[in-house]
Amino acid sequence: MAEEGSGSILQFAPFQSSVDEGFWHRLSSLKLNKFGIDDSPIPISGFYAPCTHPQVSNHLTLVAESLPSDSNEESAMPAVILGNRNRCSVSGILYNTNTMEGFLALDKQGLLKAEAKKIWEDIHSRKAVEDCAVLSRFLLISFSDLKKWSFHYWFAFPALALDPPATLADLRLASQWFTLEEAESVSAQCNEWRNSSETADVPYFLVSIGSDSRAAIRHLKDFEACQHDAQKLLFGFYDPCHLPNNPGWPLRNFLALICARWNLKTVRFLCYRENRGFADLSLSLVGEALITVPQGWREDQSVPNVVGWELNKGRKIPRCINLAKSMDPTRLAVSAADLNLKLMRWRALPSLNLDILFSIKCLLLGAGTLGCQVARMLMAWGVRKITLLDNGRVAISNPLRQSLYTLDDCLNGGDFKATAAVRSLQRIFPAVEAEGVVMAIPMPGHPVSSQEEKSVLEDCKRLNDLIDSHDIIFLLTDTRESRWLPTLLCANSNKVTITSALGFDSFLVMRHGPGPFNSTPGLKAEMENSLSAGMDNLALASTDGGHRLGCYFCNDVVAPTDSTSNRTLDQQCTVTRPGLAPIASALSVELLVGLLHHPHGIFAEAEIANSNNGGNSELPLGILPHQIRGSLPHFQQMTLVGHSSNSCTACCSTVVSEYRKRGMQFILQAINHPTYLEDLTGLTELMRSANSFQLDWDDETEDADDECVEL
Amino acid sequence: MMDVLQWDGTLSAKDFRIGAVAFAQKWESLNLAFPPWSWVPCPKHPWLASPQEEGYLSLEKICISMPQEEDVDQTSQTDPGEEDASCLGNKDVIDDATLVQSNQDGLHHYDFHIVYSNIFKVPVLYFRAYYGDGRPLPLDEIEKELPECSSNELSKSKWTFITQEEHPYLKRPWYKLHPCGTGEWMKLLFLSDTAQPKSQMVVELYLLSWFSVVGQVVGLRIPSKMLNGC
Repeated sequence: MAEEGSGSILQFAPFQSSVDEGFWHRLSSLKLNKFGIDDSPIPISGFYAPCTHPQVSNHLTLVAESLPSDSNEESAMPAVILGNRNRCSVSGILYNTNTMEGFLALDKQGLLKAEAKKIWEDIHSRKAVEDCAVLSRFLLISFSDLKKWSFHYWFAFPALALDPPATLADLRLASQWFTLEEAESVSAQCNEWRNSSETADVPYFLVSIGSDSRAAIRHLKDFEACQHDAQKLLFGFYDPCHLPNNPGWPLRNFLALICARWNLKTVRFLCYRENRGFADLSLSLVGEALITVPQGWREDQSVPNVVGWELNKGRKIPRCINLAKSMDPTRLAVSAADLNLKLMRWRALPSLNLDILFSIKCLLLGAGTLGCQVARMLMAWGVRKITLLDNGRVAISNPLRQSLYTLDDCLNGGDFKATAAVRSLQRIFPAVEAEGVVMAIPMPGHPVSSQEEKSVLEDCKRLNDLIDSHDIIFLLTDTRESRWLPTLLCANSNKVTITSALGFDSFLVMRHGPGPFNSTPGLKAEMENSLSAGMDNLALASTDGGHRLGCYFCNDVVAPTDSTSNRTLDQQCTVTRPGLAPIASALSVELLVGLLHHPHGIFAEAEIANSNNGGNSELPLGILPHQIRGSLPHFQQMTLVGHSSNSCTACCSTVVSEYRKRGMQFILQAINHPTYLEDLTGLTELMRSANSFQLDWDDETEDADDECVEL
Repeated sequence: MMDVLQWDGTLSAKDFRIGAVAFAQKWESLNLAFPPWSWVPCPKHPWLASPQEEGYLSLEKICISMPQEEDVDQTSQTDPGEEDASCLGNKDVIDDATLVQSNQDGLHHYDFHIVYSNIFKVPVLYFRAYYGDGRPLPLDEIEKELPECSSNELSKSKWTFITQEEHPYLKRPWYKLHPCGTGEWMKLLFLSDTAQPKSQMVVELYLLSWFSVVGQVVGLRIPSKMLNGC
């Protein structure tokens, strides 16, 4: 038996906590849906099992099922947590506060003492002998910050402290303490105990070995009976700890129970550990503890001292976990969007350049039927930076055809389209970086009074700045003349410009060619600023007039003038077939994506679809046309090429250099004098000579140039 | 049994269940260093027509490798002020009987689930990783530990890649190996299997063969000798 003499103090390895993510998910859900601001303590269950690995201790684990069920997630999971061989269920209590201050202000020692008192009372009332799992009762305090998705928490595993502490007379591997026969019998009996559903989750037991070396595992309540029968009697417990020189934490309260109820001064214990599901006596430990039963323990006097707050990397502070990545809906939306595009790249389009799509800044002039739909398509392609410019308000007929607006935006006179559109984009995808600009675009043929001049010039400057600070410009307005100034500014800055225009039952989608001056000093810097490195290998195309692709105005023979006054009612209120705007918008964005993947970018030559190439192009996204014109009555679509015109009122070198020379004065002149542009570019001359020849105009061109004003 | 040439590499939900049982049994008999897979039944959804029990295979709390003791401080974003504010007064947290341990936090645990995909009609490997205290392990840490699953490596092999999606039963984000190409390469696998006398797709072998490929990505290897003589 045990020797007298001072052994070293018996040191126990503290319990370690492990909280599954699912626990926090369910707690958040309960807090939001069920508890609200009610912060009464919540009964929870923890789980642990004997150590199963020679180098890794088992933890006290909390999972989603540790909490009461959230009635919103109606799962068929049973409400009662049944223990099994892999998890002994122990009860605990959770104090979840509503604020960080509340969390810090909790009376931690008071709460710990309260739990210790419960254990103490269970020891004295015999409950601990009947239902021994109560010895491992635990405490958890937490604060859940549901805006930042971070959780502050602190575990305590209350242990009644012996004073003076128990000392260790002996500790060795179980396989070295038992005889071979005894070891075999103990292993077999333990495995049976662990395999039986009635006892698998009973973490404290007696090992009684008779004189015939046969072992029997008994419940604690059989102690009095075993005491006399057994030759050797050990107090066994499931030990989560793996260390060869220390028993685990559950032994502390077990010793407290043993000395308070049965007044033993030497206790032989078995730290039961397993390996791969079976009892492993070369991992398990047998030891002998010497206890000095403290005064007053046998009688149920005051609760002894208690220790047990879990240290955090050796410090007495709580732990914190941040789960924004898996719980914040915005983050989840972003990763889902990314996933979609990456899947596309992996399965179908390995050369898809997602970086360029994520980084370009798009300016949409017009937030109507075209603007709303282009914005949505851009977001679908992963574009995040979108600016919408429109000076109108949402009218009550708009939501049907303008896909970013709802009835709410029309009330009280209607919100500004630019701001309502931005709000809508953010509701669809919170990570979008959208901006709205409420502004009118100055237009030639709409003369301004001298009082208005100043603000018009400001608008021109503002438009210029916007165009400079974006990479891609979409012209999606509803009149021809409103496209003039943006076209000129884009041609001047050599910006990628996509135009879309609708007729009653036909549409035009086109990309403007580069501006007339390609080798301007600002150009290189611009290219570096705007698009990614992929565009660096641009071949600088020839300058004005030759093979430069045209802009929206290049095949005009009249300058843009006021198309809105003197129109009949149905011309003013012309509508388009509803299908046109979505088709044209979608094609505009697809055209842009094709351009972004073309090695020559804005300088790319035009390709047309014909039966010879049958859609086979060197580029994975297909051909890159210049213009696409479609007609609904025929369900037909054609790709066309138009080269720049020397007399173009918007992009020819004459006009652009005049703008560069005289700046805003030039703009003002064009706005105020209807024939100025025609005179400047020589269109006036051209018309005079044309009229004498009677050329016939392509019907298609005229149709597509019809501008329509949305109701 | 099915002729491989006519087969598209997929299997039915019923066959998945059969294959899963066979796989778990075979795995256990191979006596690898890993614990056995267990079948987790899932509550039936009343609106689905399938009469048999749905579920998935689960292998949890695996330590793939033992990282160094000197682990970078991963934890808590507690600010220094918090220590004072939440200190427990003069009372000691620990006493002489408490062993002060070195940081056990450095161990990484992995959970693996094999879940049937109704859309692709193939099994899918879901996994997640976490520290000892339950905090999720970020993907870049996982990639350090399982180099085969880094996006670089996978883009070279071109048969799968890792995405993070909602676990179909647990409803939380888990990593998975995307099942798009699985049918194709399963067919190729069976076609090239010279051990089979005739080109037959044997349901019981499906998961084992599938896992021999997929498991490599996450560091779970089945020695090839075990696949023969089935």
